[in-house]
Amino acid sequence: MCSLRGYLVNIKTRLGTLELANPLVLASGTAGYGREIAPYLDLNRVGAITVKGLSLFPCSGNPPPRIYESASGVLNSIGLENKGVERFIQEDIPFLETLSTRVFVNIWGTDEHSYRDGARTLTAIERIDGIEINVSCPNVEKGGASFACSLDSLASLIGKLRKVVTKTLIVKLGPMKEDIGAVVILLEQLGVDAVSITNTFPALAVNLSNERLFFSRKTAGLSGPAIKPMALRMVYEATQASSIPCIGMGGISSGTDAVEFLLVGACAVGVGTATLKNPAAALEILEGMQSWMEGRGIERIEEIIGKAR
Amino acid sequence: MNEAVITGKQIVGNFIEFTCTCAEVAQHAVPGQFVMVSVSPTLDPFLNRPLGILWAKDDSFALLFEVVGRGTSLLACLEKGDTLPVLGPLGNGYSLDASSALLLAGGRGVVTLHFLARRFKELGIPVSMLCGVRDSSEIMLERYIIECESGLRLFCCEEGVRGLFQGTVVDALEEYAALHPLAPETVIYTCGPEGMLRELAMHPLLEKRRVEVSLEALMGCGFGVCMSCARKSTEGYMHICSEGPVCALSEVTW
Ligand SMILES: Cc1cc2nc3c(=O)[nH]c(=O)nc-3n(C[C@H](O)[C@H](O)[C@H](O)COP(=O)(O)OP(=O)(O)OC[C@H]3O[C@@H](n4cnc5c(N)ncnc54)[C@H](O)[C@@H]3O)c2cc1C
Ligand SMILES: Cc1cc2nc3c(=O)[nH]c(=O)nc-3n(C[C@H](O)[C@H](O)[C@H](O)COP(=O)(O)O)c2cc1C
Ligand code: FES
Repeated sequence: MCSLRGYLVNIKTRLGTLELANPLVLASGTAGYGREIAPYLDLNRVGAITVKGLSLFPCSGNPPPRIYESASGVLNSIGLENKGVERFIQEDIPFLETLSTRVFVNIWGTDEHSYRDGARTLTAIERIDGIEINVSCPNVEKGGASFACSLDSLASLIGKLRKVVTKTLIVKLGPMKEDIGAVVILLEQLGVDAVSITNTFPALAVNLSNERLFFSRKTAGLSGPAIKPMALRMVYEATQASSIPCIGMGGISSGTDAVEFLLVGACAVGVGTATLKNPAAALEILEGMQSWMEGRGIERIEEIIGKAR
Repeated sequence: MNEAVITGKQIVGNFIEFTCTCAEVAQHAVPGQFVMVSVSPTLDPFLNRPLGILWAKDDSFALLFEVVGRGTSLLACLEKGDTLPVLGPLGNGYSLDASSALLLAGGRGVVTLHFLARRFKELGIPVSMLCGVRDSSEIMLERYIIECESGLRLFCCEEGVRGLFQGTVVDALEEYAALHPLAPETVIYTCGPEGMLRELAMHPLLEKRRVEVSLEALMGCGFGVCMSCARKSTEGYMHICSEGPVCALSEVTW
């Protein structure tokens, strides 16, 4: 039971066997490694924090500019900058150990080996509750195509990771060519515990002052309220096709946005870009979601998950 | 986010100065720091905008911003009595351990150097301030140069304006140094457009000197979580919002 303003709505939720105190998850890339956001938000009040995408070795990311604002959205070209698995373990795990909230670590690689080695090291850390695999990054062994570009390459990667990850295994999906229903059915068969839907949408920005593309890597990832309807569609289709637990995200910035994701089938919700505008956004969203449920006389979150069919 | 109440608004050419009340920001702010300001209660524009702190005292602080785009135009519509959601103070700030200081400001770079000059004056540290603007539309910024008995103040304009030194801040620095050779212990503080900072970084007068610079970058969050504000430095990328905005000029690569 969670009581934020003295009322009681049971908002505990589950991702497979893992219980979350509430469905609010801080999405990867907008909460740093935890310490950075801690002064602004009580991390013990969110269901889980997902740290910035880690690779086996540090990665310096893309040259600036890295961010562009579009109507109700943001394009980012961070280029997955991160400190690498070892430094994360040394510098950030001690802080994360002081928390009671669930900790998810998002990882990426350039080939199957780098994913596997990173996942193997991280799964051995007791404090880590879940490993989230970002499959929307280029596979250097396949000429830079995304790991999610075909069911075969996805199955090959995730099959290997399932063998080494002893914690909750979450696969983070983005927009892709393949039918999302077929993808989640495959992931369920491979023993994946949950999916996160969605990552950012490939997009483009133009710099009018020099008549060039704005980002040096040309395309960048669109997030924020602008993508919410597309993210809802993906979550809906994924949860229609399979019963794999889904963390729904994409543009959530209010309690009612979060409720919409639950209604179409997500059992937890991720908050990303909204945190950039307000570091405490996730808690305000949680409160808004709870008061909406209370206003409707809803006692348990399960009553609304997947209700809108 | 904290709610700052706008208690004063002044239009200074293409700039707006807001005086605000917000103890959480004002009581902790040091020169060189900034706040992230929400420019709209709606979802568009989405991101907050970084603005330097012009001064802070007791429960009040001030902002001075140039109207350059959508966010700053929306901000400019706010009036006395309106509330402004702000996050901060953020970033590191200038170091205050100089025994004498020379401040070089270009355009809106005057904002945080104004705060620094006020602080040095309070601390009794001799400070000189050179400030330059591009054209006559910005000459109202002259009012932000701090008068300090022990130092010199000079305002210059690239466009010829009667009564003002004509040239850039770098030209003014050369003129100044010819008259008052820079003491070895004088620390230089600078903030301004990229071109000016690059020129200063290469300038023989500043070679082997302690020079602190405050940098700008496009920002997503302003508090260190998104890595949007990266800028090349001698140590790889630095994040302007959390490792800056102030750093040694020698650390910046151009
Ligand atoms: C640490 C820091 C302190 C700053 N302090 C001040 C200040 O005290 N006073 C002031 O007038 N301005 C300051 N700026 C710049 C200010 O943040 C931008 O001018 C503002 O965000 C523009 O918003 P906009 O929506 O009006 O412009 P947009 O429509 O977003 O863009 C208009 C133009 O401004 C440029 N711009 C946008 N964001 C930034 C940014 N973060 N930094 C630099 N240029 C930008 C764009 O490239 C474009 O050329 C500061 C920037 C930083 C990073
Ligand atoms: C600045 C930024 C950095 C991100 N970094 C990552 C990352 O490292 N790994 C990842 O899987 N997703 C990353 N994302 C995607 C978010 O986690 C989220 O899936 C996406 O932005 C959609 O949700 P939102 O609209 O609430 O932001 C990032 C998003 C943003 C805006
Ligand atoms: S602006 Fe987000 S880390 Fe600096």
